[in-house]
Amino acid sequence: MSAALAVREITMRFGGVVALEDVSFDAEPGRVLGVMGPNGAGKTTLFNVISGVQKPTRGSVTLGATQLTGRDVAWIAGHGVTRTFQTPMMFWGLDVRESIAAALATREFGGIFPPGALRSLVPSGFGWARRRAADAALRERADELLVTMGIGAIAARPTESLSFGEERFLELARALAIEPQMLLLDEPLSGLNPDEVEIVLQTIVRARENGIGVLLVEHAVGELLSVADRVVVLDHGRKIAEGTAREVAADPIVIDAYIGDELG
Amino acid sequence: MMASLWQYVLAGLVSGAIYALVAAGFVLIYQVTGIINFAQGEYVMIGAMTAASLASAGMAPVEAGALGIVAAAVVGGLSYLLAIRPARSRGATGVTLIFITLGLDVALRGLGLIIWGTNPLSLSAFSGGSSISIFGGVIQPQALWVLGADMVVFALLYIFFQRTYAGTAVRAAVASPAIASTFGIPLRTFAFWSFVAAAAIGGLGGVVIAPITSATYDMGLTFGLAGFVAAVLGGLESLPGALVGGFVLGIAEKVSGGLVSTGWEQGVGFIILVLVLLLRPQGLLGRAVRQA
Amino acid sequence: MPRSAASYAIGGFILFAVIAIAVWFIPPYYTGLITLVGIYALVTIGLNLFMGYAGQVSLGQAAFVGVGAYTSAVITVKLQWSPWLGLIAGGIVAALVAYGLSFVVLRLRENLLALATLALGIVINVVFNEWDFLGGSSGFSGIPSFALGHFTFDLRAHAILSWFLVALGLAFAGQLVRSNFGRSLIAISAGELGAASVGIDAQRLKRQTFVLSAVYAGLAGGVYASYQTYIDPSSFGFLLSVTFVLMSVIGGIRSLWGAPIGAAIVVALTQVLQAVVPIVIPSARGDFQSFFLGVILIAMLVFLPKGLVSRFGEARA
Repeated sequence: MSAALAVREITMRFGGVVALEDVSFDAEPGRVLGVMGPNGAGKTTLFNVISGVQKPTRGSVTLGATQLTGRDVAWIAGHGVTRTFQTPMMFWGLDVRESIAAALATREFGGIFPPGALRSLVPSGFGWARRRAADAALRERADELLVTMGIGAIAARPTESLSFGEERFLELARALAIEPQMLLLDEPLSGLNPDEVEIVLQTIVRARENGIGVLLVEHAVGELLSVADRVVVLDHGRKIAEGTAREVAADPIVIDAYIGDELG
Repeated sequence: MMASLWQYVLAGLVSGAIYALVAAGFVLIYQVTGIINFAQGEYVMIGAMTAASLASAGMAPVEAGALGIVAAAVVGGLSYLLAIRPARSRGATGVTLIFITLGLDVALRGLGLIIWGTNPLSLSAFSGGSSISIFGGVIQPQALWVLGADMVVFALLYIFFQRTYAGTAVRAAVASPAIASTFGIPLRTFAFWSFVAAAAIGGLGGVVIAPITSATYDMGLTFGLAGFVAAVLGGLESLPGALVGGFVLGIAEKVSGGLVSTGWEQGVGFIILVLVLLLRPQGLLGRAVRQA
Repeated sequence: MPRSAASYAIGGFILFAVIAIAVWFIPPYYTGLITLVGIYALVTIGLNLFMGYAGQVSLGQAAFVGVGAYTSAVITVKLQWSPWLGLIAGGIVAALVAYGLSFVVLRLRENLLALATLALGIVINVVFNEWDFLGGSSGFSGIPSFALGHFTFDLRAHAILSWFLVALGLAFAGQLVRSNFGRSLIAISAGELGAASVGIDAQRLKRQTFVLSAVYAGLAGGVYASYQTYIDPSSFGFLLSVTFVLMSVIGGIRSLWGAPIGAAIVVALTQVLQAVVPIVIPSARGDFQSFFLGVILIAMLVFLPKGLVSRFGEARA
């Protein structure tokens, strides 16, 4: 069932720079954990480590009993942890529905291609009808997801034609399509107008209600605090505070770190 | 046995010197534009063939050689203006540019076939005299010209990049292209001249090696591919690496060619290439490659 | 409108039928050309899957053709088995070679991948040249043609066979690219990290596509061997690999129909050039048509990087 993400003593050092030092916390399923901190605090590096883009110098990341540290990105995504990026990564060449279908397939078929080299070479005339039916089911499911997010209208649009906000929506829908246990959102609100912000926030709330754990990095502190159950604050790679939104907002250490960033 | 080994080494130094020149051309273009110019070897062919055909028409070897270099340089400049620049201004990147230089390579070789056909042309050595003996190994006097050309070219490159304002500007542009353009550093002009220079260097290589190997229509492919390997071996971002890579490759080829069989001369180079790409993609002297 | 998977199969077999009939009416010389176009088209379909859909580069595809050809030759000449077995074995061995090489090669991107495939293509060619078991630089002669019962394949039969395989190849590739496999490949070519973040295993898919492209090339090689009855290493070198890239680019690298179209155009052009140019420029010798092919390649890439098919038809094949 749903498991917690345990981040333990994550340290990230490269080329003399200490990006993260001894960062530990838990992210609960069905809860939103905000990750805050001034610029350069290490938030994106943290996400990179959890999602497998980078391997930590020290420390571990586990989802329930599953060890995630050192695994590659696709493996981790297949085992319950997915993320979005500061700049949305689109599947150029596909349209919106197909982008989601591509993600859904990892869920539906247990992998893009059936395992076994030989089977993958068998002409699919043998499974033609079955594949077509399965494919149709995929596209329907993709449409459902889009409608749930309120963006059903863009289903047929090529990714190249999307506005920035629509790209963010698609990336979010795609991540949700694989039914993750933990969803890492890296500044999903930046660059969005107020209506678009609303859609994303509602999607986050809905995900939480569905038992998905959300880690949210966001510069718009107000929005972050409005939706986060708990917050972790980083500064210069270290965790300097952790607590509920209200506790953290009132914490003098946190305020200090932010003001220091603004002046410094 | 040791005597023949030394002989192979000497032979390797000579061919390695040309590989180093071709490699220098690759590195130059790669550093300034980020493109791997698959056509680099053909400039060697153009230099050699032009010089040889002019010489056989009666021109003095030195003049013929100089014109050969000029011809190569002109073709290099045209390569950039007619193939690279139009593509980049239309937003071509990555794989498309690779294919374009591939097309350039094929086109230039075809051009050579159209102009000169398949017969090899010879060029007389720059200085007469009998073979020179070094520690029991033997080299032709022309080999000294080859090595000399190498030294001159690399010395000039060093002086340009490290000791002139223009060279420093180029290094800055290479290090940070985005910032460089905001300072008004003309990246397109640098790109153009990098092609011209790389072609001239290749052409010079062709001119000095032609008396030893004769000028053939497929020498571009042979030297080009070897120059590749040398460049990657030394480090695509390192000019000194081109020099080192060239000699290492040349010696490795001749030694294995002598010890195993001549057919494997070419094969050895590519095995080295694969090993380098696997184990140390930045080459011997390069900095770590960013795997995006 | 994107084409449906069935349209590739249907179109492929219509094309096959047209050719199967046409070969009874056209001069033998052209039948031979058609066979060659079919063989090249087969290779190019596989190449388009790897380069156009998966977004990779291969400058060594001719080596896989050679592997298929030599395998078939060994099986039919040395083991005296049926050429049909040789054909299948050619595809299998090429697949195995590609599978092994994929671990070396597919970790690399763009420039380095291009260099690596180039290098490996040449190394394989050197092996053909140096390995006496394969006849060294003299190659293999006396390769038997295909036969069905008592009927030994003649020129027409080879043409029909090669285009039958093209039709099959189009049908198979067509339904692959219209499935989630194709979508995932496109996702990978857009950016491996984005694809990985939703669980798409880029390495595995690239490997499968690479192996598949080798199967296409290996089968083509098997047909080539029996059709020519003689092979030597010089047929499978770097220049042939570049020719495949040219065919791919002209037709459109992300287009399956572009493969036979590109192959036909390049072969036709080569024929025209070889006839016309020596008249105009008597000094031209050897593979001089490569000048024009190179220029066309450059022009295509500058002005029509998506190939002819995208210009006139097939949207997002």
